[in-house]
Amino acid sequence: MSALAAAAQEFGPGLLVAALAAPLVVLAVVLSPKLRFAALAMSPLAPLPALAAAILAIGGAPFEGELPGLRMSFRLDLPGAILLAAAALVWIAASVFARADWTGRPNAERFAVSWLLTMAGSLGVFVAADLLTFYLVYALVSVPAYYLVADDEDAGSSRAGGVYLAFTLIGEAVLLIAFVMLAAGEPGGSLDIRAVVAALPASPWRDAALALLILGFGMKIALAPLNGWMPLAYAAAPIPAAAVLSGAAVKAGVIGLIRFLPLGAALPDWGEALAWAGFVSAFYGVAIGLTQRDPKTILAYSSISQMGVIAAVLGLGLAGADQNAASDAAFYAANHVLVKAALFLSVGVAAALTGRGRSPALIVAAALALSLGGLPLTGGALAKLAVKGTLGDGVAGAVAAASAAATTALMLHFFIRLARSDNDGKAASPQRILSWLALAFASMLVPWLMFPAVGGDLADALATATLWDAIWPMLIGAALAAGLWALGEPLPRIPAGDIVVAQEAAFRASAPPLGAAFERLDWRLRQWPAAGLSLLTIALALAAAGFASR
Amino acid sequence: MTEGASAFAATAGGSLLALPILVPAAGVLLSFLLGGRQAERIALALMPVQFGFAVAIASLIWRSGQPLVYVLGGYAPPLGIALRADGFSAVMLVTTSLIMPAAGLYARTNFATPNDGTERRAPLVFWTLLQAIQAALSLIFLGGDLFNLYVALELLTFAAAPLVCLDGRPETLAAALRYLMFALFGALFYLLGVALLYGAYGTLDIVLLSRQIRAEPAVWLAAGLMTAGLLAKTALFPLHLWLPPAHANAPAAASAVLSGLVVKGSFFLIVRLWFNVLPALPNAVPGAILAALGSAAILAGSALALRQERLKLLIAYSTVAQIGYLFLMFPLASGPWSAEAFSGGVMQALSHAFAKAAMFLSAGLIAESLGHDRIAGLGGAGRAMPVTFLALGLGGLSLMGLPPSGGFAAKWLLMKASIEAGQWVWAVVMLAGGLLAGGYLYRVLAPALSGNRPQLKSPPRRSRENVALALALAAVLLAFAPPTFFAFLQIGRPAAGAALR
Repeated sequence: MSALAAAAQEFGPGLLVAALAAPLVVLAVVLSPKLRFAALAMSPLAPLPALAAAILAIGGAPFEGELPGLRMSFRLDLPGAILLAAAALVWIAASVFARADWTGRPNAERFAVSWLLTMAGSLGVFVAADLLTFYLVYALVSVPAYYLVADDEDAGSSRAGGVYLAFTLIGEAVLLIAFVMLAAGEPGGSLDIRAVVAALPASPWRDAALALLILGFGMKIALAPLNGWMPLAYAAAPIPAAAVLSGAAVKAGVIGLIRFLPLGAALPDWGEALAWAGFVSAFYGVAIGLTQRDPKTILAYSSISQMGVIAAVLGLGLAGADQNAASDAAFYAANHVLVKAALFLSVGVAAALTGRGRSPALIVAAALALSLGGLPLTGGALAKLAVKGTLGDGVAGAVAAASAAATTALMLHFFIRLARSDNDGKAASPQRILSWLALAFASMLVPWLMFPAVGGDLADALATATLWDAIWPMLIGAALAAGLWALGEPLPRIPAGDIVVAQEAAFRASAPPLGAAFERLDWRLRQWPAAGLSLLTIALALAAAGFASR
Repeated sequence: MTEGASAFAATAGGSLLALPILVPAAGVLLSFLLGGRQAERIALALMPVQFGFAVAIASLIWRSGQPLVYVLGGYAPPLGIALRADGFSAVMLVTTSLIMPAAGLYARTNFATPNDGTERRAPLVFWTLLQAIQAALSLIFLGGDLFNLYVALELLTFAAAPLVCLDGRPETLAAALRYLMFALFGALFYLLGVALLYGAYGTLDIVLLSRQIRAEPAVWLAAGLMTAGLLAKTALFPLHLWLPPAHANAPAAASAVLSGLVVKGSFFLIVRLWFNVLPALPNAVPGAILAALGSAAILAGSALALRQERLKLLIAYSTVAQIGYLFLMFPLASGPWSAEAFSGGVMQALSHAFAKAAMFLSAGLIAESLGHDRIAGLGGAGRAMPVTFLALGLGGLSLMGLPPSGGFAAKWLLMKASIEAGQWVWAVVMLAGGLLAGGYLYRVLAPALSGNRPQLKSPPRRSRENVALALALAAVLLAFAPPTFFAFLQIGRPAAGAALR
């Protein structure tokens, strides 16, 4: 341990800079046509510095780094490191998986550029230590991903891309003003995230800043009713892109909540509001997900539900001044990083396999799916155990158990839909199958390695009472899924993206008339008499205003 | 602010201040005298010299920590004329001396003089007027006397308007006339205000005026007239009637200079007026009026940019919007947040200058290569000319205010000041403006990077693409301006609205 801690102090600061720089270096090489394919072959190596930094921070001690010339500062603490490790693993596996997509496609260059930019941002959000650095990498993980979503260039991808970008930019705007308030509320003028969050409870802008932070990060993690972009985006994105978006990129919102909510200060009103919003999302995601047929869309709804659970945990942590909620929620989220990404790769592998190869693949997919429901011995069971302390035994604990049941039903529904899905005619290349298997294996193993770091007790995880606590909600969920299946899937068909259909319609109904009204106004104001009158009015108004303000 | 007689003691190295005005003016005369191909050579040769002057002035101000003063001919005002340079003047000089050669290098293709030595009208006029604009801008940034500034303002307009109609098409002539006419109205308003001030105080020197000025009707009327006149030349909404046709129809290199620099000249004088001439007067309500007009500009300009069918018109309307941000600093000019607001306003002026110049040059390359600039016809164009679209996109990054970019730094500073001042509404307008900017850039960039490559009439020349890209990168690099840069901007900035406190 001490050797790792010493290594962390020695190499940590450099590794933090390298974590962000490595994807950008590969990107720079990709832009040179001669070296392009050699560079792309190296892209699975780009997340390695981040992975090394995460291991040092988990096994050793937290550390900091900075780039003074660019006024960027970095810090890796336990919650950040847990998420960074999982995200780096997913980026490595998905980069190998995606290599078939790099070559021979018209969009290969565009895909590679947005892939590497998104990677840099996705790894960067876990290590950013000040407001401006965080905002930069947060924009990096969000905006370039537009081209991952809209990669296919058909009508569905264009729509999904447009909706994704609209949500992303609105979220960025909301967070910008929240960050400005955080900075304004710190009397010393520091931009360090810890300092501004410590000053938040006493800040005159506390409530507005908290509301905007929850709104902004809530859009990123698709809390209902801001969830509509997620099913569209994940269904439209190519398989490896969906894997990194749903696994790694979405956790920018989770780390945002972890970093920016003042978890040490008891704020019951805000905490409970967030917890309720999270729980509503947890069930809403399952309910709509059960009406879906496309496996990728179902996985997206499962993400909405799981992110809701994480929001609820953090809300309860905020309400109860529970500092541990940060690393517990991070652990829960890290498990989701690995499992959800592996599940998306499963969809790609299952679609490519036929006949005899398909059944073993489906078995692995089933184990991954049930992990999200909390299947004993999987990472999902550990994740549920980690957040148990924060949820408690009261109402929140019961709601969480019900959510596990609901998730199990949704994941069984996913499994049935996956098993029935068609072959897509793509070749099941060995590197795709191997990268998927490796990630599936990691998603089973890595949570066990990280569990002790968040104070988990492995013996407790294997105790009979714990196993039973995990199993009974799953049995209820399985019964629910079986019932729905036996009734021949009686639920109404709801379009993917549910509420976003109404949001798009509202936009279409209001934006063009508003634009036309601006055009008419512009036309009138640009006539000579109107412009002359404006000039005179402004001169007199300014004079009068000055005169009156004596 | 009241440093006594020392305000007119020429500072060491102050004589340097005359050179950025005299050298391009001499260039204009020489170009006319020698004519033909020499105009281009003279213009391009003098531009690096101009950059040298600008950097020398900036470093003198930085080293001494106070404004640079030069008294022409040794006669102190009110008899003589003083030139003054503060931090704001210096960064505007440097910015001008960087964008001018960029536009010049880019324009060499369009305004080359034929090799046989025959003189053609367009190149001669272009290269001569470019130098005249540079001389006028230098005088605006350095002038210390309101009548001198009037002369500079007129010189600027008369040099800028003909650039719009260099190709002689009827619609460009109409656009140039519209520009000239409205600018003339603006000049008239400004001149009336100057006359009122002269009648009341007998001097037009900025420092002398600022010491004597009192809140009285004549002063307020003068302030209203002068500000409105300058707003007409800055094209602040709703006085923007001339800008979209003029900036969209001018040759690309001229558009870059007009949108990036020329509108900043009259904006600079509005800052001079309110911060240097009238700092002692309460300015909360006039400031709020200016910011309200700026907000209207942001919302209307961005919304209209979203509706345009031609790329150059879209960029021109985006200028209408971006000019609006400049005026959000005025109601924030007094209070503990005033330094932040001022830095934000200046940062907006600088980043918009670089970003907009880059975008107009890119749009020019696109129009030349495709043979049109219809947005509906841009599908796949980004694949055929990636560097051009990279420059366009990086410029757009700054307009949207996404990091890393000077536009982000500007927005951050202005938003922080408005939140601290409790004036929320400006922050909300800035957010809406950023979203709308995202919308109009999406309209251009999303189709450009999708679909099949179009057939290019001629691929853009790499050197010209690099010029546009360098300007866009400058807008990005402003994001990393160190704290010393912001300290530099504060050199010589008087606190406005001082009478309030």
